[in-house]
Amino acid sequence: MVLTPDFATRPVISFQHVHKTYSTGTEALRDINLEVPEGDFLFLVGPSGAGKSTLVRLLIREEKPTRGKIFVDGVELGRMKRRRLPHYRRKVGLVFQDFKLLPNLTVYENVAFALRVLGASDHQVRDRVAEALDTVSLYNKESTYPANLSGGEQQRVAIARALVHAPRFIIADEPTGNLDPATAWEIMQLFLRINARGATVVMATHNREIVDLLRRRVIAIDAGQVARDDRSGRYHDDFAKSEVRA
Amino acid sequence: MILRNLKFALSSAWQSFWRNLAVSLAAVISITLILILAGVNLLIGHAFSQVLDGFRAKVSEISINVSDDTPLQSINDFQAQIAADPRVASVRFVTKDEALAQFRADPQNYVLVQQIEGNPLDAKLDVQVKNLNDVAAVDTMARGWSGVDPTDPTNYQGDFINRMLQLSEWLGLAGAGLLVILLIVSVVIVMNTIRTAVYHRRKEIEVMKLVGATEWFVRGPFVIEGVMTGLIAASIALALLAVGYEPVVARFKSDIGFIPLSYDPAFLTSLARDLMLAGALLGAMGSYIGVRRYVRI
Repeated sequence: MVLTPDFATRPVISFQHVHKTYSTGTEALRDINLEVPEGDFLFLVGPSGAGKSTLVRLLIREEKPTRGKIFVDGVELGRMKRRRLPHYRRKVGLVFQDFKLLPNLTVYENVAFALRVLGASDHQVRDRVAEALDTVSLYNKESTYPANLSGGEQQRVAIARALVHAPRFIIADEPTGNLDPATAWEIMQLFLRINARGATVVMATHNREIVDLLRRRVIAIDAGQVARDDRSGRYHDDFAKSEVRA
Repeated sequence: MILRNLKFALSSAWQSFWRNLAVSLAAVISITLILILAGVNLLIGHAFSQVLDGFRAKVSEISINVSDDTPLQSINDFQAQIAADPRVASVRFVTKDEALAQFRADPQNYVLVQQIEGNPLDAKLDVQVKNLNDVAAVDTMARGWSGVDPTDPTNYQGDFINRMLQLSEWLGLAGAGLLVILLIVSVVIVMNTIRTAVYHRRKEIEVMKLVGATEWFVRGPFVIEGVMTGLIAASIALALLAVGYEPVVARFKSDIGFIPLSYDPAFLTSLARDLMLAGALLGAMGSYIGVRRYVRI
């Protein structure tokens, strides 16, 4: 079954009959078909082990599909050469549940790092890091090390790093998973602002309240397949018992 | 952009060296110990080659005894022929009288000199051969000459020279073998030390890759840090060797006087160059190999 909402804008992310089976024999994804138009905000929901994380890993090209094709911005990820991968990742802003900040770098240096890999000048780095830290309201913490920040603050640093190079896509894997509800809501406000500026946001989440409140596109993954694709959906809890592990 | 990346790699390497000081020091100590061993090996090799050079200079001179009835013209011709040979450094004609004077001048011959009547010694051609390996060929050439004394043609001692050559060859091989073993051991130790350092920072590398750093962008600071570590270790090893070199040679000379060992400060310059190069290369190679597993995208 192909679930493709009829959006007016062209898709920037497209999954075509994507299968993923790990070397252990675990079938994580089966015949996934998806299209995401530019500027979309979509939630990937589903029980643990349903295949959400595998889908995210395919999107950031940490894994390749076993079968099928994934296109992002016209480029087929499975056939992308290894040396092109860093350039692809620079178009994407990534946010993870465990923040993935560099512990030896200050807040400023962590955010600046995403620009350093691009070869940005000191002047550009100064201006854009200040702007990104302003967006996430952390301009007064730029000399602090991650260990001295709260979970919410660390996630805001990660978001500042994800958006500092003005990426076209933000991919977030359980970004509110380690946060209390109030902080989670603050973080979601940031994602909404980034999306309002034009970035496409794909977010895997377990946070029912947020999904139900925001009423954005919801793709439910269950047992490695797309079970539901609602344009302004709710979380629901009607997943069948998942048999696969991502 | 390349300059900016280089600047970033240099400052990252510097920061990381100090921020991970314990691991950095472990790497510095390992490389220092290895370089001290390599340096001692090079110094011993150099000392033996100095001693051997002394022996070589002595045994690469051959005296060709000239028969009493050989006309002067024939001697001059043969002298010119030998002097023109590219293997020969110099030829000097020593007359019978000069040979006797030399013999008398040597205090070791004092008793013999009392018993000599007339001049039983031959005139001779003292030939300095450039390369020890060619002494045998010059000896053969001399024995084929019509003017040579058939009863005692030359003072060539083939056996002694062959043994010298063998000894020098064996010493050279042993030194080279030891250096190869040290090299292999050191690369393994350095690689493992640096791999441990890199293992502690694997998450950092993962994040670098996720934000789009190229393999060389990630690897660059590690390799530069390795070079820095190697150079610091080489400086420490060199300082210790330079301080210890002269007293050890002096002690050796006083204890084992018959081996003509000497202190050669000029060798320290080439030792400094070799150790710095080896330290930088070891550090760079160790980092490159150590980080490879984690850097590959």
